[in-house]
Amino acid sequence: MSEFPGIDSSRLSGESKRRPVLITGRGTDVAFNLDDEAPLDQLTDELSDYLAEQSALYSRGGISINTGSRILSDDEEAEIRRIFKEKSGLKIARFISVPSEHDPQPELLTEDPPVARLRKDPDPVDDPVVNLSSADLARALSGLSQQGQRSRSGGMVVRGTVRSGESVQHFGDLVILGDVNPGSEVVADGDIVVMGSLKGLPHAGASGDEKAAIIALSVTSPRIRIGPCEASGQSPHENPVGRKRRKDAATAQPLIAYVRRKSIYVSPFAGRFARYTKGVPYEG
Amino acid sequence: MKGRTIVITSGKGGVGKTTATANLGTALAMRGHRVVVIDTDIGLRNLDVIMGLENRIVYDLVNVVEGKCRVRQAMIQDKHKLELYLIPAAQTRDKDAVSPSQLKALCAGLEEEFDYILIDCPAGIEQGFKNAVAAAGEAIIVTTPEVSAIRDADRVIGLLDASGLHRPKLVINRISAEMVKRGDMMGQEDVESLLAVEVIGLVPADERTVSAANRGIPAVHDPRSAAGSAFTRIAARVDGEEVPLKEIEPRPGMLNRLRDMVGIKGRAYSHA
Repeated sequence: MSEFPGIDSSRLSGESKRRPVLITGRGTDVAFNLDDEAPLDQLTDELSDYLAEQSALYSRGGISINTGSRILSDDEEAEIRRIFKEKSGLKIARFISVPSEHDPQPELLTEDPPVARLRKDPDPVDDPVVNLSSADLARALSGLSQQGQRSRSGGMVVRGTVRSGESVQHFGDLVILGDVNPGSEVVADGDIVVMGSLKGLPHAGASGDEKAAIIALSVTSPRIRIGPCEASGQSPHENPVGRKRRKDAATAQPLIAYVRRKSIYVSPFAGRFARYTKGVPYEG
Repeated sequence: MKGRTIVITSGKGGVGKTTATANLGTALAMRGHRVVVIDTDIGLRNLDVIMGLENRIVYDLVNVVEGKCRVRQAMIQDKHKLELYLIPAAQTRDKDAVSPSQLKALCAGLEEEFDYILIDCPAGIEQGFKNAVAAAGEAIIVTTPEVSAIRDADRVIGLLDASGLHRPKLVINRISAEMVKRGDMMGQEDVESLLAVEVIGLVPADERTVSAANRGIPAVHDPRSAAGSAFTRIAARVDGEEVPLKEIEPRPGMLNRLRDMVGIKGRAYSHA
């Protein structure tokens, strides 16, 4: 936590009494974690006080609001945005909520610029990627998807390479016009399409949808996940040297990874909804 | 015209950032530019040693940002009386002694007077990196053709992108032509296809670079140094000149050298 000199350390974790607003962060990103139990007006008071005192702290970086299992109404969300705007001028990059049966830990922004370059819009309020209401997110993440009522947002296109340490997440289909490099992760509620080599960690159908698929020109990820299923690559270290590898990459035939009988199979791509019967289990 | 501030970075340590900074700075000054090189590796300063200016340090970067001296007082002129000045790092402090905004202000001032400000970035992606990157308008990434260095370069390219430095240029350092030819080392195309950024220079592994650093005279002063001439060519490219990248070829064998001497056309060889 030393990255945030000036943050009153009593507000950070490690204190015996649970605080209604817990501030966590890493790099230039800060998450405000709102307690599930505390009444909302207590939270807003706390936020107002805090921001009035400390707003000068964060000049840049992403702010996210983690509402835990609480689902905010649009009005409540607007209220929190208003507090941030008035008290500090800070812009909220996103609201996060995690249904309690999944992960009780608040989702922290664990890496430096998560999806930062996907959010070039100067005013995140109008950003279509960010401006999912938290209720949408909660619904998308919760079990509703199994009954086909999922409110999945549209596709998102990443123009460029996803590099080591970057994490791209989207509640919908995700298209990457470039490579997904080792040490990165791409998470989508729907399908993941990589117009390049997939070498990072993908998770398609992240809310549990095993009908989601991963499509890429080549896949050498150490691990791939679709819905609740996971497969590990066993191939030895890829040799980065040589014309043959580059030529292979240039003439690569796209692959599709999909779930069958709770295992992940790969097959040459023949259409998103083709019937795949001759796939082989993913082994990297 | 306002000067250009370029950060030289890599993520991984030991790939040749400081050597690259010293050589590029010198080569740009030899082209007639007014150049400042800033060592931001506070606590682990090296650039002064490579440039042979260690014993002339009186004030350093931390003194400047703390207002203990004027910028001019901390600027040490190059040994060869080029228009090349070093602002050394402090050795007894750490990276927190300087903030990104302080460095930004310093470079903004220098840009009024100088053509190039080169910032030698420390290894890592912590405070020192953030300081070094904050002031820069452009970035050069130094890597070696090894998977570990390339992985770190990839990470750094992502971080630069996130802080608004798009389209960095890549210098691939310490290439062994023999090993590339044998298929034991990544070549330019391999690295390019992994990192998807523009390569601005290929620097061959060259023992002379080591001895030049030991003597405190950057390799670009030595016309026989293959690495030195590579840096001269990189400086020309930075300067906007169109200099084709030549593929690094193995050093000529005895036979070809003899042929050269007697003027018979042997197999062409060159260093980028």
